[in-house]
Amino acid sequence: MSEDIKVDLDLDLKGLLCPMPMVKVSQRIGDVPVGGVIRAVATDPGAMADIPAWAKSTGNEVLSAGKEGDEYVFLVKRVK
Amino acid sequence: METQAINTLTGVIDKKMTRQLKQYLDICARCAICKDACHQYVATGDFTYLPARRAELIRQIYKKYFTKAGEFVPALYEARDPDENLLDELYESTYACTGCRRCMYYCPFSIDTAWILSAAKAILIAAGKGNEMLGQLADAALMKSDNFEMFKDVIIDGFKDVEGKLKELTGDPSAEIPVDKEGADVLYVALAGAHSILPAAAIFHEAGTNWTLSMFESANYGYFFGDAEKARRIADRFMDEAKRLGVKEVVITECGHAYRVAQFFHEAWSGEKHPFKVRHILEVIDEYIKDGRITLRPGAITEPITYHDPCQVGRNGGIFEQPRDIVRAVATDFRDMTPNRAEQWCCGGGGGLVAIAEMEEFRLKSGAKKLEQIKATGARIIASPCENCRLQMEGLNDQLDLGITVKPVMDLVLDAMDLPR
Repeated sequence: MSEDIKVDLDLDLKGLLCPMPMVKVSQRIGDVPVGGVIRAVATDPGAMADIPAWAKSTGNEVLSAGKEGDEYVFLVKRVK
Repeated sequence: METQAINTLTGVIDKKMTRQLKQYLDICARCAICKDACHQYVATGDFTYLPARRAELIRQIYKKYFTKAGEFVPALYEARDPDENLLDELYESTYACTGCRRCMYYCPFSIDTAWILSAAKAILIAAGKGNEMLGQLADAALMKSDNFEMFKDVIIDGFKDVEGKLKELTGDPSAEIPVDKEGADVLYVALAGAHSILPAAAIFHEAGTNWTLSMFESANYGYFFGDAEKARRIADRFMDEAKRLGVKEVVITECGHAYRVAQFFHEAWSGEKHPFKVRHILEVIDEYIKDGRITLRPGAITEPITYHDPCQVGRNGGIFEQPRDIVRAVATDFRDMTPNRAEQWCCGGGGGLVAIAEMEEFRLKSGAKKLEQIKATGARIIASPCENCRLQMEGLNDQLDLGITVKPVMDLVLDAMDLPR
């Protein structure tokens, strides 16, 4: 499904320790237009709760979050 | 600014106006000794970051609305309204402060500028000018606990990933990361990341500790944001867990502010005495080494190594010797910085600054004194038990290509343990 979604910004968050993956997504969400999508790849398992929690509390949307090998991949849509 | 808005902001000060705060606001002699104590002022020479100046902004509002002299002759007593200009100045000086309290240490009256700035943050939040990033991080932490069922499975899945690595590391297929374990002696409160769980889990395993891992991280961005209610609720998450599980002690991971919140603030915020002890993980590890519960290879580290006292663990937390004893137990060439312990220079990474993108350049610049100290030791490894300090020192390291490794203290312990890996 994620292949059909246009990604506006790729964020390589590999090696960053929580909460920095969430911090980086938050810092960069303003770089995509409303409706735009960030694809973020992290390696810290804590991001699996952190990034969706940040998105929910800021009114943004996680379109998908999943583990691919040793990486955690997120598609985050800027809603406002 | 409209009267109603002013009343709101002065009401915030009034609520914060303890005898202690009033004393701090009344007694500053403007001797400026604090200018030589603040790493930010020393590095920049910018008046905005002079500790006495930071406090002066709150003092000006205090004089206008809480003293007769300032109310009737404001120009003579430098009393001011909390107008937009003052709030903008207050924002810059307040959220830049790391809360290291080195200024308080050298102040002849022990004026706690960080305490005054906690009132400043409350004013800024009431004015809608709280730092957005720190507020978001605090809200995200509460989102996880307020909707715990939604996040529980991914949190536990993350722990299971770390548990797999623990089994490999220890060579013990029965090694586990227990969660929600009633009757455990210790509730260990890590950060959200695996890096703060795995070394501690291996050490607890080796020591045979009856422990359990908290579902929640110890980091508290509500504290950095300056919202005491949110900060209390964030800490409540694991304090309530500890009470429910009936543990004997809560052990906080290598995180400076989280330790200080848990050890010194939470009881006051919640109005309840903890029915358990609170300790920093390095106090526990030091005890394990001295009691022979874990065995380390002496001389496991031969490269020159130094130790950075995080302000919230050292000067403000009183833990100085245990980390040094641990480092000496594993390293042959320990070189302390000068000055150290209570006089240690702040590295510049505290106060939540590592999360604030627009402060990055300033933050790294403010690390000048720390950089001098590190270079003077000739160390190739820096150990420090605070995530924010490590991020800052890694930033300094990268910026200047120093080739130094920055490590948590418990990683050194892990490296010196005889494990199959």
